[in-house]
Amino acid sequence: MARYVMQRLLAMLLTLFIIVTVAFLVIRLMPSSIYDDPTISAEVLDMIQAKYHLDRPLIEQYGIFMKNVLLKGDWGISMKIQPNIPVFQVLGGKVPLTLFINLVSLLASIPIGLVFGAFAAIKKNTMTDHGISLFVILFISIPSFIYATLLQYFAAYKFGWFPITYTVSDMASVKYLSLFLPTLSLALDPMAKVARYMRAELIESLNSEYILLARTKGFTRSKAIFRHAIRNSCIPVLNIVVPMFANVLGGSLVVESIFAIPGMGSLMIKSINANDHYLTIAILLIYSLVSLMTVLVVDLLYAVIDPRVRMGGKKQ
Amino acid sequence: MRIFKATDPEYLSLKREDFKLHTREEEIHDAKFETKPVGFFKDAMLRFGKNTASIIAFAIICIIVILSAFGPMMNEYGYNDQDLDRANLPARIKGCEGINLLNGSTVLKNRRKDNLDNTEKYPEGCILDVFNETVVNGVEMCDIRIDTYIYSGYGDDYFWFGTDYLGRDLWTRVWRGCRISLIIAFAAVLTNVGFGVIYGSIAGYYGGMTDMVMMRFAEIVQAFPNIVVMTLFIMYFGNGLFAIIMALVVRDWVGTATLIRAQFYRFKDSEYVLAARTLGTKDAVLIFRHILPNAIGPIVTRTMIAIPSAIFAESFLAYIGLGIRAPEASLGVLLSHAQTVLLQYPYQTVFPAVLISVLMISFNLFGNGLRDAFDPTQRGT
Repeated sequence: MARYVMQRLLAMLLTLFIIVTVAFLVIRLMPSSIYDDPTISAEVLDMIQAKYHLDRPLIEQYGIFMKNVLLKGDWGISMKIQPNIPVFQVLGGKVPLTLFINLVSLLASIPIGLVFGAFAAIKKNTMTDHGISLFVILFISIPSFIYATLLQYFAAYKFGWFPITYTVSDMASVKYLSLFLPTLSLALDPMAKVARYMRAELIESLNSEYILLARTKGFTRSKAIFRHAIRNSCIPVLNIVVPMFANVLGGSLVVESIFAIPGMGSLMIKSINANDHYLTIAILLIYSLVSLMTVLVVDLLYAVIDPRVRMGGKKQ
Repeated sequence: MRIFKATDPEYLSLKREDFKLHTREEEIHDAKFETKPVGFFKDAMLRFGKNTASIIAFAIICIIVILSAFGPMMNEYGYNDQDLDRANLPARIKGCEGINLLNGSTVLKNRRKDNLDNTEKYPEGCILDVFNETVVNGVEMCDIRIDTYIYSGYGDDYFWFGTDYLGRDLWTRVWRGCRISLIIAFAAVLTNVGFGVIYGSIAGYYGGMTDMVMMRFAEIVQAFPNIVVMTLFIMYFGNGLFAIIMALVVRDWVGTATLIRAQFYRFKDSEYVLAARTLGTKDAVLIFRHILPNAIGPIVTRTMIAIPSAIFAESFLAYIGLGIRAPEASLGVLLSHAQTVLLQYPYQTVFPAVLISVLMISFNLFGNGLRDAFDPTQRGT
């Protein structure tokens, strides 16, 4: 197990290294320059470029950047958005907010989806089942930014139940209330996916022989379902949950911009448009890091939940 | 029945006349097949035909495709005809005067009541309704519903979906945007499937070292988060049509390749492949003619299910400002523009939002129907 985790961590470092390299080269090869303000005089421009090593060849710039990163842990400073502030300090305030709405929506949607899916399977081919299935199709198909827009217009603007956009406030209740709609609009899609998959799995389990055996041995239907069927159905559901975690931060970009949440999404767009190179690299790094980490954690949890999964199993 | 051995004297003395054919003269009692044999595709189509929801979805997709091809030609406005005087006019359709969303009306709040007769301010016939009358500081105030078209001097025009902030006709732009979204989605998915099929076939068919190297490469590609790959790609190649299509393909082909590779592992050692190989069939023929057709069901299904995700991904890019270059518009670009004026001009959001939702639901239902038809064991997942 420990060996496997080490292997995965090493592979992750390698991936991150490649991502940072690609990001650095791509960003530097873009046509526009960092300092394109025409009011800066040529001398000052030269000085700035010399200070940030922008006058050196690309490969040397990359060497300097990597040396700073590896030896000093210095990822550079923000150049445009918040000048002269280290990039991770700029990011510091934004990451928790983005992480919060994404993780909360995903973690909340899984159990709710499981419950609805199980309910639909148990009540198979009744009105309940058809109703749930209809909503599942709607929630899976319609993009999250459409719900976000609808919720914002009706729940926030017309009825005034929630703040229209993210509200900065010392009172935790106000802040979390304004995060409710974005979280909800992010949660609907994974919820529907889990519900649909759970329904299919549970229906299959309910038709299997071990349930018949349990019933013949005198288990009541509900006991058979809860003791045997549901447990076995939960494991395959994990298969679709893992990829959701892989994309955990990506989904919220649009919803963040709709609700004006000052998270990583808006920062990324701003820093790309402003040519704030080091900041962009740091943001891409965080996106990759979070997604790789969550996948690793979920993979490890997989082994805990289902003992049949052997981590890093080789061919016997 | 007796069994003769080669050494038996009786066996040696058997004559030709002792043998008789068993059923040459007699009638065979097996029943003949009354029905025609049903092939794989026909079988799938029969199953598909029973799925009403999918048929309706398919019809809706056809209607949307036809409208996005011919919709922009159905009125006289071009997709980039700008006129700031007619900016932000709500939707107005002939014959829908009773429906507030479609009669070109706007509500103006807190107007002085004594001004209502002033035809310089409110042109003849533009006031449709007066309500919410109040008295504030001795002045009579009210809310009025006006015909925005007469109000801004465009009484004879009918913009079926209204106009945007530059006075461009939204009907034309929505259908043209839908066309672009569909082109992007179809092109992206076809490239994705085409590349994935070839890659997966080669990896799966040759196996061994080739497979190892190719799949490790695919794994590395997949380790990049989608959003990061797409952003970097568009940043580098710009936001033209081709760049956006490629950005959607750059990571998604891995899934197709894995699927195809699995199919090859299942079939490449079966007897019929061995037989074909013994007869001297070339690798390319074996791959594309003998093994790949086994995967046609999953490929078709995957293609149809990937289309709504591609439409979603494209709108997503538009929302974060990496959408297709102006003045061209896709559904995502239209939506992201409309989003910024949602509270003032909600009608600008309504039409593209409804269209994209209907499109996605239809494609999902259609894809599910196809999957159930090609692979009935997967039903419901």
